[in-house]
Amino acid sequence: MKKYIIIFLTIFFVFGCKSPQLTVSKIEGQNIEIKEQLAVKSIEETIHPYTVKMDKEINTVLSFTPKIISEKDSKYETSLGNLMADLCYEQANPIFESRTGKTIDFALFNHRGMRAEIPQGNILVKHAFEMMPFENMLLVVELSGAKMEELILFLLDEARAHPVSHHFQMLIKKDGYSLNINGKPFDKSKSYYVLTSDYLQGGGDNMNFFKNPLQIIETDYKLRNAIIDYLSKHEVINAKLDGRIKAE
Amino acid sequence: MKRRDFITKTSAATALLSFNNFELFAAPKIKQKHITILHTNDVHSHIEPFAADHPRYANLGGAAKRAAYINAVRLENPNVILLDAGDMFQGTPYFNYFGGELEFKLMNMMQYNAATIGNHEFDNGIDDLYKQILNAKFELLSANYDFTNTILNTHVKPYKVFIVDGVKIGVFGLGIKLEGLVNKKMFKETVYIDPIEIAQDMSRILKEQEKCDLIICLSHLGYYYKATPDVVSDLIIAEKTANIDLIIGGHTHTFLPKPTVAKNKDGKNVLVNQVGWTGVNMGRIDFYLDENQTKIKAKEPIIIV
Repeated sequence: MKKYIIIFLTIFFVFGCKSPQLTVSKIEGQNIEIKEQLAVKSIEETIHPYTVKMDKEINTVLSFTPKIISEKDSKYETSLGNLMADLCYEQANPIFESRTGKTIDFALFNHRGMRAEIPQGNILVKHAFEMMPFENMLLVVELSGAKMEELILFLLDEARAHPVSHHFQMLIKKDGYSLNINGKPFDKSKSYYVLTSDYLQGGGDNMNFFKNPLQIIETDYKLRNAIIDYLSKHEVINAKLDGRIKAE
Repeated sequence: MKRRDFITKTSAATALLSFNNFELFAAPKIKQKHITILHTNDVHSHIEPFAADHPRYANLGGAAKRAAYINAVRLENPNVILLDAGDMFQGTPYFNYFGGELEFKLMNMMQYNAATIGNHEFDNGIDDLYKQILNAKFELLSANYDFTNTILNTHVKPYKVFIVDGVKIGVFGLGIKLEGLVNKKMFKETVYIDPIEIAQDMSRILKEQEKCDLIICLSHLGYYYKATPDVVSDLIIAEKTANIDLIIGGHTHTFLPKPTVAKNKDGKNVLVNQVGWTGVNMGRIDFYLDENQTKIKAKEPIIIV
């Protein structure tokens, strides 16, 4: 009998004195739009000094453009793309030369890689951020002749205005193409130094020919900083089309 | 079975039965606990609301209005857990100029409880992320980034158990594969571990060792990849794990009109939610838990979405 009492007591302690069990009986889920709520003052007051400081910096005038610098003014090239590729080349080539003793052959980026156009008038720091909101870095890849052929096929296939620097002159023909790089016909027995971004080198926008190059040379230069540095050196920007890639 | 053992067991069962009957007579009415989970993802430094002339998100979002909504919910139910599923950083010059300082300051003010680490948190490098984390009054959670050989070692926990109104809520973090997405120079020696295995381990630890009443996965893996369905995503985590009640996602900027009800490994329901990006929406999940004096057979909860 004593034994049964012990069992009973054990059961009592196990079940009777245990903290209550919690079981989920109902779940409600919804997604709420943040729109009509009245702003919390203390939050606004915390933000304010940051906004003042930031506005001052982002509204700094860097340069001027007499007309909109567009990214849709032609099929194979755009004034924004040409400007971007040329300015990156101009800014990054001295770094590359000092590190390697060699010269970059040309620059290639992706169409719509610049996320905003530059309106007519003063060009502000803000526009540089709108064009390049990401922290992409400029780097140089050495591409073999075979990878260069992949690059060319990609451009022909895509038939979009992927920005190239003026060193890359291509005529798309009905039955092929002709390509000059720095005034010399493309030579597939040779390797080329191509300036691009770390994003594209990693295969971004399907530019897979940038993967596994012969070598990668970092510039440690942010694309946005290249834009800001270039614009602040030039009082007026005259971005234009020049037929660097065109079709017959 | 020995006769004596049989008697012992029967008696014990009878004792239990009568005890339960007694309980039934004296049964107080069931007490209920109410926990509200609020969440954001991919706010991307959108401190201010969108401008009135924005083509898609006119006047939407902004930290000050989000805080107002959070305050209103806290008035209604003080038992709130506030979470973010990563990519708090990058997207406006606020980040570029102040490096995430303001984002974290505002999250502290809103009393966020925890956030997971998105790929954009590494945009200024792991050393800058460390500096910002020192100012965060909320937990940074990641169970599948091994930070052992980085400056973040010991500053990021795999999970945290919050006790709110006596309810144990286990929250663990999951991050996306960084290689190919973030420059190695930025994440340095951070090691990415397969999130499926980690999620299985975490949900077991939180259920069996920590005895959590609710288990939440805070993920920056992405909702689902239609073109590459084998790539790990929140819907895959839901399907391959057990015991998780809610997966809060990010990365893919998916605007779900309402939370998805998915099935887990045991065929039970698990909620998966994500609220687009830039803080234009906020997710709200209300859990109602019944207090039972004795263990009852678990029923599937009613889900209203």
